[in-house]
Amino acid sequence: MALRGPITWDDPAVSGGAARGRDAEFAQIFDEFSAPIHNYVLRMVGDHDRAADITQDTFIKAYRKLDTLSEATSTRSWLYRIATNTAIDDMRRRRMVSPMGDDAPTYANRPDLAPGPEAQVMAATLDERVQRALMQLRPNHRQCLLLSDLDDMSAQQIGEVMGLSYAAVRTLLCRARGEMRRALSAEGFAR
Amino acid sequence: MTMNGHETFEELISASLSDDLTDAERQRLDDHLDGCAACRGTLAAFADQRLIMAGLRHVAPPRDLAARVRTGIERGQFAAVPWWRRPVTIFAGIGGTLAAVAGALLAMFVLNGSPADPQVGESSPTPSVTVTDPTPIPTGTLPVIPSATPDASPIGTPVPPPPSASSAESPVPTPSLEPPVPDVVMAASGPVENFALSAHDLTDGDEETPIEAAPVDDSEVAKAPSGPPIAAELSADGQWLAFVTEIGERGVNDVWATRLSEAPESDDPEASPPIDSPVAVGETVHLGESVAGGPFLERLSWSRDGRYLAYTLADPETEDADADAWMFDASEGAVRRLTEVGNAYAASWSPETGDDGTETPALWISTAGDEPVSWLHDVARSTEPIDPATDALAEAAGVFQPLLSPDGSMAIVWGGQMTADADRSWIFAADGAPYLAAYDRSAEDGPFVDASPLFADLPAEGELFTSASITWGPDGDAYAVWDATWTGDDAGAEDGPYPDATRVYFGHASDDRRLTRDHAIDSGDIDPAMSVVDVELAPTGGHLLITVREARGGVLDAPRAELLLVTRHTGSEPDEVATVDSSDDGWVGPALFLPREQPDPDSVAP
Repeated sequence: MALRGPITWDDPAVSGGAARGRDAEFAQIFDEFSAPIHNYVLRMVGDHDRAADITQDTFIKAYRKLDTLSEATSTRSWLYRIATNTAIDDMRRRRMVSPMGDDAPTYANRPDLAPGPEAQVMAATLDERVQRALMQLRPNHRQCLLLSDLDDMSAQQIGEVMGLSYAAVRTLLCRARGEMRRALSAEGFAR
Repeated sequence: MTMNGHETFEELISASLSDDLTDAERQRLDDHLDGCAACRGTLAAFADQRLIMAGLRHVAPPRDLAARVRTGIERGQFAAVPWWRRPVTIFAGIGGTLAAVAGALLAMFVLNGSPADPQVGESSPTPSVTVTDPTPIPTGTLPVIPSATPDASPIGTPVPPPPSASSAESPVPTPSLEPPVPDVVMAASGPVENFALSAHDLTDGDEETPIEAAPVDDSEVAKAPSGPPIAAELSADGQWLAFVTEIGERGVNDVWATRLSEAPESDDPEASPPIDSPVAVGETVHLGESVAGGPFLERLSWSRDGRYLAYTLADPETEDADADAWMFDASEGAVRRLTEVGNAYAASWSPETGDDGTETPALWISTAGDEPVSWLHDVARSTEPIDPATDALAEAAGVFQPLLSPDGSMAIVWGGQMTADADRSWIFAADGAPYLAAYDRSAEDGPFVDASPLFADLPAEGELFTSASITWGPDGDAYAVWDATWTGDDAGAEDGPYPDATRVYFGHASDDRRLTRDHAIDSGDIDPAMSVVDVELAPTGGHLLITVREARGGVLDAPRAELLLVTRHTGSEPDEVATVDSSDDGWVGPALFLPREQPDPDSVAP
């Protein structure tokens, strides 16, 4: 879901045509990618508050790095790479300061924000089981799988995001699918 | 490890789901699936899994996300950071080029300047990033400078001596000469306001790396590097360059870190994700100011993941020696003071294994004193200054500033009795000497095992070394010692002073003889009018890149240094010396080797 209407950037420190052009470019990027990036990060970390913080940091970094985005670079890959690295940094920090496993998913404990008839309850249950399975995966396996199956990226695009070669992505993705197959099986999914 | 038949096809099955197969691979997979029920089951399971994932609910971001992002941008990432810790943009506009170059080209970067440009005394608030015009040096035709003639050298005998009982045996293994020259090199330099960055390509003289000049427009420009660089370390992933610059005649150093590139991609599917940073490519962060107190204060140590830089700052504003360990966290672009004890020095990062099996860096911190002690700390866990003697992961009594080899299997450590000198830094007063030891964190008697004096032919007690600079080569075997300050009796006899502060001693950990007087590079390798600033060892294990500086006639003279590539020979064959880059009136060096070229993902695309 996109924002309700365009956002404006009234930074008094920047003015003039170039700055306005930069802000317009950023607003367009935010409008197009804030929802999928947030969804990807949420599935990565399994926690709504952390996902919001990481998404926020991702776009702040993206604004600062906008000059490094060239025409030859895919905006989508560039932004997902920033988000991935920001999420990884967040997980590293939590591992450093919370050795007792603060990184454990809290997704299942969060209230569902969607309307709640019975169908939604059933869907949420399914969703939570899949999320629990996802959280059993190693972070790089989780990233790879999400980028492929949630965001429908090719191996080439995943390589751009994760900083891996095409061949390395194919190997990693296969291992991730195998790991996810076992995790889903533990959650009661058939096959 | 080899894959069995099913595992091979599982990778093809996985890739087929996102249409990442070549026609040949698809045909091969189809043929296999026709006769393999197990793989058909895998295909069905993976396909179901993909459907399940695609069917996950999309959760909208919080409604205030745009406002939060806007607030974050307006507030600025570094609003709460002291001004001297904030990034100073001095390389604006060149980052993209560097990023492209750093991981891909066989290139040498040189930061340098020339007195022809604005110098001390000229008001130049906006030093510009300039492009040097490197002389093309085609492969294999480096200008080899023969060693000086005996008459030109007051020390030693540069002409190879006739074989004798002592020299007939090679003191070190003859280094491999493949590749013939180190192919990936980075050098840093830059006197006064003329900090400049250029790229040189040692392997293709026709390929100069274009770097556009970019004016600097930053109110903090006065804190941009203001003196020649004297030490530099590149992070393992090539993203960051840390370096130390001298500040004029004040006896003070500045410590800096410049982000050179985005993280390089990896071919290892299980590699740790790259370290990102709020500091943009091309920006330089000022990490602090310190007393210029010799080798122990000039050590820069990157953790192997490239996230942390450890270094030591001795407060120049106090009367006494007041040194403490500091850390730069590249992922946050922030500086942290690690200790507040006044005699603590950052040493090396030790690769520790975390609870989840991943590598977690811990830092050796040494306290100077009558008996120095080194303490291993998980410094990333705490945000407050630590007491080195409390809650350490490990302790090594009598050990000062251990320098671990790049692979973490060996260490060169200092031992002896220390005292604070008149320059407000700690040096060794008695029994001071470096030792070579194996590094084993699981050893019962401490991690530094089987320590032996690094110099095998020097006395072990009394007035010995006060300090020396030491570095490991990237192969974890070669090492070099220079700037050795020795207060004991001269052990050189008629062969010249030994140990000699003007010479570089080059050895290999695999050589049980360690270092002797015969391990000094040839006396003619370095002009007697020059002194060694820095040494970098090539991945070949047989080449040294040595930055040598000229003595300054007066404070108004511009500092000058040049970079030498020494191909070390032993026995009767003299070393080869080539000037990698020099300027008649500029500063070139130190040098660093960039990570090897990463494979191009396009080259393996279907």
